[in-house]
Amino acid sequence: MLFYKIKNLYQLVYTIALKNIKVKYKNSVLGYMWSLLHPLAYLIIFIFVFSQAFANIERYPLYALVGLIFWTYFNNSMNQIINSIINNASIIKTIALPNILFPLSAAFAELVTMLLSLIPFFSLMLFFGLQITWHTALVVPAIFVYAIFTIGIGTLMGTFNVFFRDIGILWNTLSPALFYFTPIAYLSNLIPEKYQAFVQANPLYHYMTLFRDILFYNQMPSSRTIIITCLMAFVTFTVGLFMFNRYKKGFVSNL
Amino acid sequence: MIIMNEDFVISVRDLYVNFWISGTGVNSFKDAVMLFGRQRALQKKQVLKGLNLDIKKGECFALMGKNGSGKSTLLRTLAGIITPEKGSIQIRGTVAPLLAIGAGLEHELSGYDNIRIMGTLIGLRGKELKESVQTIKNFSELSHDDLSMQIKRYSAGMMARLAFSISVCRIPDILIVDEALSVGDQGFQEKCAHRINEMKAAGTTIIYVSHSLTELKRICTRGACLENGRIAKIGPIDEVGMFYEQSFQ
Repeated sequence: MLFYKIKNLYQLVYTIALKNIKVKYKNSVLGYMWSLLHPLAYLIIFIFVFSQAFANIERYPLYALVGLIFWTYFNNSMNQIINSIINNASIIKTIALPNILFPLSAAFAELVTMLLSLIPFFSLMLFFGLQITWHTALVVPAIFVYAIFTIGIGTLMGTFNVFFRDIGILWNTLSPALFYFTPIAYLSNLIPEKYQAFVQANPLYHYMTLFRDILFYNQMPSSRTIIITCLMAFVTFTVGLFMFNRYKKGFVSNL
Repeated sequence: MIIMNEDFVISVRDLYVNFWISGTGVNSFKDAVMLFGRQRALQKKQVLKGLNLDIKKGECFALMGKNGSGKSTLLRTLAGIITPEKGSIQIRGTVAPLLAIGAGLEHELSGYDNIRIMGTLIGLRGKELKESVQTIKNFSELSHDDLSMQIKRYSAGMMARLAFSISVCRIPDILIVDEALSVGDQGFQEKCAHRINEMKAAGTTIIYVSHSLTELKRICTRGACLENGRIAKIGPIDEVGMFYEQSFQ
C-alpha cells in the first residue's frame, strides 16, 4: 500500500516536473542554454569586477563559479517552489491529488536542470583549475542534503504564501540582499570578526562552505559544517512538511 | 450507528465542512505572525453544516440550490478534494469529477502533451494511458494536426472538446458534473449527453449540478435542494424542482 502510494506520487511528480521544464523553455530560442547563460553572465561580471580586488585568491573564477552554480539553483528553486501551489490552483481545486506533489515537482524540475548544467560546468571548472580527487565525489551527498534543505524551506514559505501572498513578494525583495550577504563573490574572512556571528546565521553560508571545501579546496568539510548542514536540512524539511500538512486543508478556500 | 445499505454508493452522515480563510491587509498578516502558535491564524467559515445524503447505485441525482448554498463544496468533498471537518463519507467505487472544464490544461503545450499530463493526473498509467490517447482523439474529433499544436491556439470550443474528452475517456463508478455541459457547439453537446447516457447504461452513478431545471429533469430522476449548507428537500426530481422554484418567490 505504501509502496503503491510512493510509486504513484513519483509518477505524478515526474509528469509535472517534466511539464514544468518543457513549459519553462518552450517559447525561447536558446531554451535550456539559458540555465547555463544566467550564471555565466554573473561569472563574467564577477571576474571583471573582483579579479583585481581578490588578486590574492588563486583560481578566483573557479571560486566564484562554485558559489554561483549553487546560488542559482537555490534561487530558482525557491522562486518555483514558493509559487508552486498558487500556480496549480486550478488543478488543486478540481482533482483530488496529494498536494505535496506540486512543491516536490517544482523542486525536482530545478534539481534536474541543475544536474544537467553541471556537465558543461564541470568542464569549465576543470578549465579554471579544478582538481579531481576522491573528495570530488562528496559533491553527490552534498547536493542531496542541499536539495532537502531547499525543499524544506521552499515548502514552508510556499504553504504560507497561499494565505499571505506577501511571502512571495518578500522573497523577491530579499533574495538580492541574500545574494550579497552570502559569500559568493567574496571570501568570508573578508568580513570583520565582530560580524562573523551574524554572517554565520545565514544557512547558505554553511552550504557554500560545504561546496567550496569539496570543489575548491579539495578537502573534507569540517565536521562542524557537515553537522550544521545536515541538521538544517533535516529541521527545515520536517518543519516544512509539518506546516504543509497542517495548513493544506485551507488551500482550496484560499486559492 | 448507521449500517450502509448495499444499494447505496454514496452515504454521507452529519457532514461538516469548513473554509479556512485568511484575512487580507496588514492587520491579518500581523495577527498571523503575532499569534503564531497561540491562536488559529485562519478564520473558520462553516459551509456544510451537518449534511446527510444517500445516493443509490446507478441513479442520476440532481443537486440544486442558490448560489453559495454549498453545492460545489459538497461536490468537492465527495470528490476527495476537500477534507471534511466532521462526519463520515462512504463511497464505493471510483469517482470522476467534472468540476471545471479546462482546469489544469497547459496552454503552452500540445494537445498530445496535455492528454498525457491530464491522463496521469486523473489516474491513468502505462498501457491504459497509451490507449486513452486514441479514445480521446476519436471522441474529441480533433485531428492529428490539431492535437500536435500548442493548445493556446485552440478556439474555446476545441479546448472544451479536449478537456471534456479527457475527463470522460474512461467510465467511472461515480461521475460528478458541475454545470460542465454548456460547452462546445451543438453537435458536441449532443455527444456529451450521449456519453453520459452511455455511462448511465453502464451503471455509473451520476451527480449533476445545474441551475437549468429542464436539463436536470431530462437526465435525473431524484434530487435534492441545498439551503445554507444543509439538505432542505430531497425526493423525486419534480417535487424538488418545484421546491427550488418556489424558493425564489
